[in-house]
Amino acid sequence: MTGTGAIRGAAIRGAAILLGAGCVVWATVPPVHRGYADFALFLAILGVTAGALRLTLAAVPVPEDNYLLPAPLRVWIWFLETLRQVPWEEGALIAVLWLEVLHRAWPWHTAVLGAALIAYLLATHLAESGASPDALRPQVRVLAVGAGLLSLGAGAGMLPAVGPGAGSALLRLVAAGALIAAAGLVLPYVTAPGPPPGGGR
Amino acid sequence: MSSSIEPNDRLLRVPGHDLEVRWRSSRHARRLLTLGFAAVFIALLARRPEFAGVAAPALLLLAGGGSGRVQRRPARISVRVRPSATRAFEGELVALDVRAEGQGDSHVRWTLHPGAEIDPGDVTAADGAQARFTFTPERWGRRPIGTMDVVLRDRWRLAEGHLTVTLPKLDCYPAPADQRTKVLLRRLPNRLGEHPARTSGEGIEFFGVREYVPGDRQRSINWPASTRRGRLQVNTFAAERSQDVVLLADATSDVGEPGSSALDLALRGAAAAARAYLEGRDRVGVITYQWGGVSWLGPGLGRRQLYRIIDSMLRSDSGYARGASFRRLPRAALPPGALVVVFSPLLDQRFVEALRDMRERGFHMLVVDVLNAEPPVRRRREDQMARRIWQMEQEAIRFSLRELGVPVVHWDGVQSLDLPLAAHTRRPLAARR
Repeated sequence: MTGTGAIRGAAIRGAAILLGAGCVVWATVPPVHRGYADFALFLAILGVTAGALRLTLAAVPVPEDNYLLPAPLRVWIWFLETLRQVPWEEGALIAVLWLEVLHRAWPWHTAVLGAALIAYLLATHLAESGASPDALRPQVRVLAVGAGLLSLGAGAGMLPAVGPGAGSALLRLVAAGALIAAAGLVLPYVTAPGPPPGGGR
Repeated sequence: MSSSIEPNDRLLRVPGHDLEVRWRSSRHARRLLTLGFAAVFIALLARRPEFAGVAAPALLLLAGGGSGRVQRRPARISVRVRPSATRAFEGELVALDVRAEGQGDSHVRWTLHPGAEIDPGDVTAADGAQARFTFTPERWGRRPIGTMDVVLRDRWRLAEGHLTVTLPKLDCYPAPADQRTKVLLRRLPNRLGEHPARTSGEGIEFFGVREYVPGDRQRSINWPASTRRGRLQVNTFAAERSQDVVLLADATSDVGEPGSSALDLALRGAAAAARAYLEGRDRVGVITYQWGGVSWLGPGLGRRQLYRIIDSMLRSDSGYARGASFRRLPRAALPPGALVVVFSPLLDQRFVEALRDMRERGFHMLVVDVLNAEPPVRRRREDQMARRIWQMEQEAIRFSLRELGVPVVHWDGVQSLDLPLAAHTRRPLAARR
């Protein structure tokens, strides 16, 4: 790895770690103690920490032949493999969202968290794939549209009179429609043909 | 991190391997999916529309990448791999050029997984359709360079195509040690060479003065001597001869740390001696002793002989060779009057017996002892006693060889070979009969 590349990689890794930690703190404060908040906080911290460790230790090689290795080395290899196989970030995402929903409705707060979570995911991807931020250039427009929708969502949350009645029912309908639309958009991707048997050499 | 290179036309001439790409969704896509669905679910459950807004960017990214994505995924790509050399010495830098074709607009990432005893250097991953890696083989032998993981990513980075390329093998030669001086025999065969012999001839080194006889060249007249003696005197010069050198590499036992073991040192020392003697226009051959027999290469001349010798020694590592006895060697392998330089830890009794046999047949020999390891020190008295007995046995072996007129010098593999050989390179080697 060249000097500039190493610095860039370290900076992106650092950004991902900081964004993850920031999301957890943002969703936790002020602390609440209901609805399994403590467990969700534990899961969030565990997920972000393990994800950070995975990014940091990504370059550490695992010996191909682990036959007759000493016990500490076996434990280390098992730790590395666990770190690399478990979807830590997904767990952290769900836990952070759960922490956020336990707080009272505060739409701008949730919108900031949403933006930070997207940034966290993008930084994590850049860090794990070793790509430069330029790789995200084709997605800028979509991200801009997404930011607009995020603002709209926050704005909708700030509208008053979202209580029992016609407005609430309408909101549920809109949300259900969004879910169906999202599922329709994502379904082709999920049901794409799997990898061919055999694979490469 | 990136190590893109200039277009390399030579790489285009290398046949490419058509390899199948295994596509699957990326971790990034799975994370976006999790965020999107979790946020929409919470929005519905908690009746909070701001969570639907949180889901929007993730779902939009997935939808954008999903449209027309399948069409842009190549099922096969062609990969060309070309190392800058198929043979290298230990510690020599070798470049590896790789190039992918047929990947369309997918982003290509290369990751080098080096094989055993291959030092990949600083760069192990690179981006782009074409890349260059450098690596260094650390220990002699026929070494697989390793494998190359190729990851293709679509423009939206939601799908990843994986394939693995097995890299070719590299013949790694032992790095010759430093040796400049040479051991010379007192009696050299009557063959033109570069070593001044103890007889007069047509060389350039002054040998003596004798009386002029008709036919002598006028330019060789020594005028001061002629003036003193009153008769014409001419200078004579030492003849220049070459010698046959046979290197004996003992591969029967390999002790010590890998990289500086007895076998490593024996091969590096033999390679250094082969290079030094071949540069002196001597005929050099090699005999390698290993379990199961002996392999040999008759003495020869030239730079190509150096590589033949090293190849012969490396082949000996891989298994049985022709010949099944330590005692019988053909005349072509061990010509009469040859100087025999032995690189051995002197641990195998059969090998030591073979040395004694050679000495008794009148060969001039020199043993370079490459043993640099000892049994571990333990607390038990019996172990200490066994260790002491082993040391005494080793001393006895070396003493018996010296008694037979075979000089034994110790080489640690770190310093130049000239140092332990210094006592024998200053004057011609004259073994006792």
